[in-house]
Amino acid sequence: MGKALGAWRKHAFKIYSEFVGYFTAMKILIIEDEQELAQNIADYLSGESYLCEHAATFGQAIDKIESFSYDCILLDLMLPGGSGLEILESLKKQNKQEGVIIISAKNAIDDKVKGLQIGADDYLAKPFHLSELSARVYSIIRRKQFGNSNIVRQNELEIDLLGKTVKVANQVINLTKKEFDLLLFFVGNKNRVISKSALAEHLSGDLADMLDNHDFVYAHIKNLKKKLNEVHCDNHLKTVYGTGYKWEG
Amino acid sequence: MSKLLDKPLKTFTLYALFILACSIPAYYLVVDYIWLNELDEHNEIIRTRMEQGLNDIDIDEQTLAQTLNVWNNVQPGTTIAPALPNDVREDSIYTASKLNIYSDDGEIDRFRGLQTYLNIYGRPYKLTIETNVEEVDETLFAIALITFLFFGFLVLGFILLNRRISGQVWLPFKKTLDKLKDFDLNKQSEVVFDKTDIEEFEELQTVLKQLIQNNASVYLRQKQFSENASHELQTPLALLKSKLDMMLQDDTLSEAQYEKISSLNLPLSRVSRINKNLLLLAKLENQQFDESFPIDLGALIDETTSLLADQAEARDISTVLKIDHQTMVTGNKYLVEIMLTNLLVNAIRHNVSGGAVAIDLTDRVLTISNSGSKPLKEERLFQRFGNASPDNPSSGLGLSIVREICQRYNWKIRYDFKDGLHTFSATF
Repeated sequence: MGKALGAWRKHAFKIYSEFVGYFTAMKILIIEDEQELAQNIADYLSGESYLCEHAATFGQAIDKIESFSYDCILLDLMLPGGSGLEILESLKKQNKQEGVIIISAKNAIDDKVKGLQIGADDYLAKPFHLSELSARVYSIIRRKQFGNSNIVRQNELEIDLLGKTVKVANQVINLTKKEFDLLLFFVGNKNRVISKSALAEHLSGDLADMLDNHDFVYAHIKNLKKKLNEVHCDNHLKTVYGTGYKWEG
Repeated sequence: MSKLLDKPLKTFTLYALFILACSIPAYYLVVDYIWLNELDEHNEIIRTRMEQGLNDIDIDEQTLAQTLNVWNNVQPGTTIAPALPNDVREDSIYTASKLNIYSDDGEIDRFRGLQTYLNIYGRPYKLTIETNVEEVDETLFAIALITFLFFGFLVLGFILLNRRISGQVWLPFKKTLDKLKDFDLNKQSEVVFDKTDIEEFEELQTVLKQLIQNNASVYLRQKQFSENASHELQTPLALLKSKLDMMLQDDTLSEAQYEKISSLNLPLSRVSRINKNLLLLAKLENQQFDESFPIDLGALIDETTSLLADQAEARDISTVLKIDHQTMVTGNKYLVEIMLTNLLVNAIRHNVSGGAVAIDLTDRVLTISNSGSKPLKEERLFQRFGNASPDNPSSGLGLSIVREICQRYNWKIRYDFKDGLHTFSATF
């Protein structure tokens, strides 16, 4: 009896937290015609307590945008029924505050410039690592959510995005630009396993796919870990399976 | 190679020579025939005049004999002598060559003779008239001389006319040719030929126009195809990549499984790289990225080098920079960045462990050299997939992109191997 009650309670709590989560979780709209890719993105982001919805066509996307509001929209440019740029234009016309990340197969400079001009916040060319997407979503939502505040708190870390400084218990850690980037990347991908190649691509940007040696990532991670350790920060950055990394927090 | 109009000229000249050469004996025969006829007539007239004259003058036989004697002596060309009535025969005409007794050099003259019998006072006389006629060789020589003189005029005229005709008639052809020389399939510009009133050229222009249009559209389709194909590949690649990322999140993975999955990232990123480069090449060929601005090349090199510092460090490669920071080039920044990156990544990738990369920018010449063991084949270097091999992780397109970018801005790119250094130099 007690056991059954326990199970029921557990269940009720799950429903309750999902219910609460629905109102507190960040809502993300994935506008992408490739069903499986959208599903993967949703799966990856859901673990981050993001709530994902999916629109596969131009019409669906317009419907959803008009009826609901989201914290972040992932927008593919080539959609059945219309262009993603039109969706972007209609968003701006409605004065919606959603953060928009364009995810496009077209790595055309023109599209990029045009998209950013119309009002997209970021542009990510396919193919990308989900961790890269997650980091960017994180950064956009943080920007929208916290307005002018440039301080991100993660575990005992206090990250000043503008000053590019990190403090633990008011003790400043001197990180290089790359170490700082890595730290933010991990924070944007909490509790996710990130492969070395995703980290390498994040660190070297456009150059990434020209490199065939991703070992330089080790050195930066080693230094970052060492510096965090020096200020007695708990070891949140775990090495998994030898070459993967995970920020537990 | 000879010019088109020179070919008929040669044939015409040879034909004219042949005809004129044939005309020489013909002229000779005609002239000689007329001449001999005329002389025969002349001889006949002399004969008639003599017969009449001798019959008309009233002299006795002895005086006649004396007169004839004197005549024969004074006029050796004409001989008149009494003949026996039995000897009287038909008139005969002949041609004879005789030594000129009055000339020192033994000249031989040709004579036209008439042997006839006169009847003077009822008695027969044999009359031989020989008139000098031009020799065969002299006539032939004169005719040939004149013929060849005119042949000379003819050839001269041919050449002059030919030159004028080729200048005028072939002008539209030359213009068409110039237009074709300037034509660049890449630029997708339409060729407009000058109007011509010559049927053959008009036809040529029509055919050429059609050919160009067909080729241009095939070329365009081809280029659009590669652009579209590359685009289409991006989505499945994105799917693959995201699937791999998702698989890594599985808590139940063993380390070996994790290794296998994450090792897929490298070939996957190689495919993306090849695809991206193919797309870039297609776009370069499609004349995209046309806006250009002045670029501070030195600053761009600094930027790119710092981005690659990690890579160089990881392979223990030292970088030596010598940069003139006043160098500005005009071009598309994105393209110049790609060009620099490709060259620098190559210099690091194809280096020996513990080697060096030297970057030198002076006098608008950028030289990037790196340590290496043996020279590379220049002709294959810039070809697409020219150096690709299974153990070479490069996309095989980097240098063709560099060359394509250089070609667009008329920069010169060269490769040298000297003292164990691969050197690429670009002249802006």
